[in-house]
Amino acid sequence: MRSLQKIIKLMLLEKKDILLAIICGFVAGISSVALFAASGYLISKAALTPPFYTLIILTSAVKLLGLIKAGAKYGERLYSHRATFTILSNLRITFFEKLEPLVPHLFRKYTSGDLLARIVGDVESLQNFFLRVFYPPIVLLLVFISTVFFASFYSAAIAVIMLVGFLLTTIAIPALFYLRQAKLSGKVKQERGALSIEVTEFMYGFRDLKLFQQLQTKETQLLEQSETYLKQQKQENINKAYSQSVNGFITSIVSWFVLAVGAYLVANGELDGIFLAMLVMISLTVFEPAAPMAVFPIYMEESKSAATRLYDVAEDPDIQADDGKMPIELLDRAPEISLQQISFSYMGDWRATIPDLSLTIPAGSKTALIGASGSGKSTLLQLILKMQQVQVGEIHWNNQSLATIDAASIWQQTKVVLQENHLFYGTIRDNLLLADNQLDDQQMEKALAEVNLGHLALDANVSENGENLSGGEKQRLAIARALLKKGNLWILDEPTSSLDAQTEQMIYQHIFEQVDGDTLLLVSHRLYGLEKMDQIIVMDHGNIVESGSYYELMEKRGYFYQMKILERSLL
Amino acid sequence: MDNIKQTVWMHKKRIYLLVIFTFLFGIAIIAQAFMMTKVIDGVFLHNQSFSDMIPWLLVLLFILLLRFAADYVSKRIGVSIATDVKRNVRKKLLIKYAKIDLPLAGRGQTGRKVSMLLDGVDEMDSFYSQFIPQVMQSTFAPLLMLIVIFTQHINSGLILLVSAPFIPIFMIIIGIKTQKKSEEKLDKLASFSGAFLDMLRGLVTLKLFGRTKQQQHELEKSSLGFRDTTMDILKVAFTQSFALELISMLSIGIVALELAIQLIIYESISFFPAFVILILVPEFFTSLKELGTTFHNGRSSMGAAAKVLEEFDEKSGNIHYGKKELPVLSNPPIIQLDKLSYQFPASEFQLQDIEATFLPKQKIAIVGASGAGKSTLLQLLSGMLQPDSGRITIQNEDLLYYSQSSWLDQLAYISQHPYIFSGTIQENILLGVTNNADKKAVQKAAESAGIAPLIESFEKGYETRIGEAGRGLSSGEKQRISIARAFLKQPSVVLLDEPTRGLDLATEKILQQSIQKLNETATVITVAHRLHTIKSADQILFLENGRLLGKGTHEKLLDTLPSYRKMVTIQQGGKKA
Repeated sequence: MRSLQKIIKLMLLEKKDILLAIICGFVAGISSVALFAASGYLISKAALTPPFYTLIILTSAVKLLGLIKAGAKYGERLYSHRATFTILSNLRITFFEKLEPLVPHLFRKYTSGDLLARIVGDVESLQNFFLRVFYPPIVLLLVFISTVFFASFYSAAIAVIMLVGFLLTTIAIPALFYLRQAKLSGKVKQERGALSIEVTEFMYGFRDLKLFQQLQTKETQLLEQSETYLKQQKQENINKAYSQSVNGFITSIVSWFVLAVGAYLVANGELDGIFLAMLVMISLTVFEPAAPMAVFPIYMEESKSAATRLYDVAEDPDIQADDGKMPIELLDRAPEISLQQISFSYMGDWRATIPDLSLTIPAGSKTALIGASGSGKSTLLQLILKMQQVQVGEIHWNNQSLATIDAASIWQQTKVVLQENHLFYGTIRDNLLLADNQLDDQQMEKALAEVNLGHLALDANVSENGENLSGGEKQRLAIARALLKKGNLWILDEPTSSLDAQTEQMIYQHIFEQVDGDTLLLVSHRLYGLEKMDQIIVMDHGNIVESGSYYELMEKRGYFYQMKILERSLL
Repeated sequence: MDNIKQTVWMHKKRIYLLVIFTFLFGIAIIAQAFMMTKVIDGVFLHNQSFSDMIPWLLVLLFILLLRFAADYVSKRIGVSIATDVKRNVRKKLLIKYAKIDLPLAGRGQTGRKVSMLLDGVDEMDSFYSQFIPQVMQSTFAPLLMLIVIFTQHINSGLILLVSAPFIPIFMIIIGIKTQKKSEEKLDKLASFSGAFLDMLRGLVTLKLFGRTKQQQHELEKSSLGFRDTTMDILKVAFTQSFALELISMLSIGIVALELAIQLIIYESISFFPAFVILILVPEFFTSLKELGTTFHNGRSSMGAAAKVLEEFDEKSGNIHYGKKELPVLSNPPIIQLDKLSYQFPASEFQLQDIEATFLPKQKIAIVGASGAGKSTLLQLLSGMLQPDSGRITIQNEDLLYYSQSSWLDQLAYISQHPYIFSGTIQENILLGVTNNADKKAVQKAAESAGIAPLIESFEKGYETRIGEAGRGLSSGEKQRISIARAFLKQPSVVLLDEPTRGLDLATEKILQQSIQKLNETATVITVAHRLHTIKSADQILFLENGRLLGKGTHEKLLDTLPSYRKMVTIQQGGKKA
C-alpha cells in the first residue's frame, strides 16, 4: 500500500486534468440519471393527461440532458485519458531518475533482460491505476450522493435503500472479491512461473531430452503443470465472472427494493404515485457508472503489485548507490591499476567467480586477459570499471582506492567496448555523438573508416538495439564510438569476436596506433596478435595461472603454450 | 478462420447450452420490464393495494435471479470452453513441437515456440471466455427486445429500427476513415513504447558515456509526444462514441416524446406498454453499444487465437521407426552408410550419396569446412533425421527397422552445448540412463569424467542443485557433466560433436582421455575440430558441400586429396580458414 501512496502522490501532479475528468464524469453521470428520471416522470405525467406545455418542457429537458450527457462523457474520456498519459510520462521519468543511479549496481542482483522488460511492463500497467482504480469511485460517489440527496426529497426509505446499495456494490463486494482476487492471482502467477520453467527446459533442452529418451517423462510433467495452471486460471476467471454477475444482481435487487418499498408507500398514500416510475428509473440508471467497479479488484491488484515491484527494485536495500564521491586526481594521464587480494562472487551464486586474485597493470602498458569462457575475465573488467564491487580486497587507480572514487569519474576516463554494446534507435551519427557532442562529421567519418565501416552514412538509420546491423557491424560501430571518446584507459572485452581475422588485425592496428601511452586492457578469445602486448594474463576459473609477455610464456611452455598449441590444432 | 470455427464447433454441446442460456437471459430482461411496469401501473394508476403486488414482486425477484444466473452460467460456459481449448491446443502444440525434426527445432525458433506455448495459448482465452458469450448476448438480447417492442407499440419499434442501424453504420464509416490513419499511428506508438525499453537497456552505455541527463530530457520530450499522438487517435474513438451516445440518447428522447404524445393526444396507448418500452429502450442501446466494443476487442483476441492455430498448418516430419529390438551384442554393431542423402526443407543444402562402413570400435572423424554437412550427418546417425534416400544400416539391417528406444539405448551423444537441467547434479548425470542407476555408478561416472573432485568440494555434493540451464557452471564443467552421462550409460556407439573453442585445458585433456576410454568398448564417431583427433582416427570422412570427397586415414588423404591437404596446412599456419 505504501508504494501505491507514492504513486498517488506522483499522480496528483496532474491536478487540473484530474479535476476536469472528475467534473465531466460527474456531469455525465448525473445528467444520465436526470434524463431517465425525467423520462419516467414524463410518461407518468402523460398518463394523467396534463397540460401540453409541461410535456414540452419535459421533453426538451430530456433532449437537453441527452446532449449534455454525451458531451460530458466526451469530456470525461478526453481529460481522463490525457491525465493518464501525462501520468504515464511522469512515471517513466520518475523511474528513469530512480533507476539511473542504481545502474549498473542493479545488475549485481537482477539479470538485466527480465528486469528491464518487467519495469517497462509495470510502469505501463500503472496507467490503469488512475483510469480504472483511482477516479471512477470518486465520480461514482459524487453521482450517488447527489442522487440519494435528490431521492430523499421523495422518500427517506428509498434514499436509504440506494445508499445501502451503493455501499454494497462499490465497497463491500469489490473489497470481498479483491481479497479473493489477490489470493488467486498470486497462485496463478506462481503456477505460471512453474510452467514457464517446464516449457523453457523442454524446448531448450529438447535435443538432449530426445536423445536421452526423457521426452515422454518431461512432456507428462509439463502437461501436468499446464493442468494445474489451467485450473488456477479457470478459478480466477470464474471468480471474475462471479464478481460481475453478483454485482449486477445486487444492483437489480436494489431496484427491486426501491420498487417494492415505493409500491408500498404509494399504496398507503405516503408517496405520490407519479414519482414511483421516476424513482425506479433512477435506481435502474444510477448503477450504470458502477459497472466498471466489477473490474476494479483486478486492476487494483495489478496496480498494487506493479507498484510494489517497482519500488522493491528502486528502493532495494541490497543495492546501494555508489558511495565513492572523490573525483580522479590525476586526470588525462594513463593510470596504473592494481588489484590486491580481491575476491568476488555474484549475488546468489554458490561459489566465488574470483576467489583470490592480485594483479598490477602498469601505467601505459598493454595487457591481454585470456582464458576459457567462464574463467572470470569479463568479471575482472567489470570490477575495474566499478560496475561490480569486490567483496574482499581493494582495487587502486594509481594510489586512489576505487571504493572512494566516484564511478562516473572512472567512466569519464575510460574508453570501453563491452561484449554487449547497446546501440540506440536513431542514426549512426546519434550513436557516435554519444562519445562527444562536439564531434564534427569529418571526425566521425574518419572513425568509421578506421573500423572498416566507411560504407555507412552518418545519417543511416539504426533500429532498436541495432537490429538492422550485422553482429560485426555492431561491434565495429561500438569500437568507433569508443575510439572517439576521451580517456586514458582502454577496456576492451572481446571487441572483435564477430569479425574475421583480417578485419580484426586491421582494427587492432588502428587501436594500437591510437593507444599511444594509454593503459590498455584487452580480453581476447584468440591467441594470435598478442606479441605486441606487454603482458598476458592467463586465467582459469577465477585464478591467474600464468602471466608474462608472449615470448616469456611461449618459452615457459606452460598453460599458455598449450593453449596456443591447441588453437593451432583447431580446424 | 476455419481453424477457429473448428475449435468452437468441437464444443457443440456447450455452444448450444450457451445459446439456451443467452436466450433465457434475453427473456429475463424483457420479463423484468413487464413485472416492474406491472407493479408501478398497479399502485399508480389502478390503486391496487400492496398485498396485491406481492406475488408480482416475488415473480420479479425470481426473474432477476434468473437473469443473473443465466448471465453467470453463460460466462462460466465460456470459461470452461476456453480452458478446454487451451488445454487441448497446448497439448497438441507440444506434441507437434516434439515431433519436429531436430535441425528444424533450431535455436532461433525455440524462443518463439516457448512464447507460443505460454503466452500464445494464454492469449487465446479471451476469445472463447469473453468474446463468444458476449457476442451472443449482445445479438440475442436486442433482437428479442426489438420484437417485444414491436408487439407493444409499432411506432416505437420503427423509431428504433430507423435509429439503431445508425450505430453500426456510423461505426463502419468512421472506422473506415480512421482505421488506416490510426493504424499508422499505432505503429508509431508501439515503437515508442519500445524506445523506453531501449533507453533502459542502454543505461549502462549511457552511463559509461556520461549521457544520462541528456537522455532524460529526450525521454520527457518523447513521452509527451507519445501522449499527444495517442490522444489524437483516441479523440477519433471518443468522437465516435460521442456520436453513438448522441444517437442513442436522442432516440430514447424521441421514443419518450412519441410515447407521451400517443398517451395524451391520441390516447392510442396506455401507460403499461409505454413504460415497458421506456425500460427496454436503454437496455437495447446498451446491448448494441456493447456489441460494437465487443467486436472491436474481439479482433485482437481472434488474431491471437488464429496465430496459435496457424502453427498447426506448418508441416512437420515424423520418423517412423520399426518395432524390432536392436540386440545388445558383446561388440559394437557394424554401421554402414548406403547412398545416404538428405535435403533440408526450404534450403539449397543437401547431403548426397554418402557411402561408408564403420567397423566395431573404430574411431571415425568427420571433417570439413563449416556448412559441409558434418552435423547433419551426425544427426542422421543419431536417428533424429530421416534420410530422403539411401539408408543407414546397423548389422546389415535398416536403422529405421529397429525401435527408436533400442537404438538410443546403445547411443551416447556428446554435443558442443550440452543442456543442464534444473535439478541436482546427480539427477543431471542420471539423465544419461533410462533405468535407475545407483549412486555408486553415478560417482564412478563422475570420476571418469574428472568432475568428481569439484562435485565433492560442494557442501551438498551430488545433491547440489544447479540452476536452470546450469547457471554457475562453466562451459568446461557442463561438458564434463555430459561426459559423465556417457560413462554412466556405457554405450556401444558414441557420437561426439567436438567443441570448437572456449574449453579450459583441463577439460580438453579429460575430453581426450574420456574418448579414448569410451573407445575401448564403443565405436566413436566425431565431428572433429582438432588435428590430434583427426590424426588418430582409423577413418576420416572428408565432406565438402554435402558430398563425400574422400575417406581413409590422415596420411592417405594428405597424399590423395589436394583440398584436404589445403585445409589441414592452412590451419597449421596459424590462420583460420
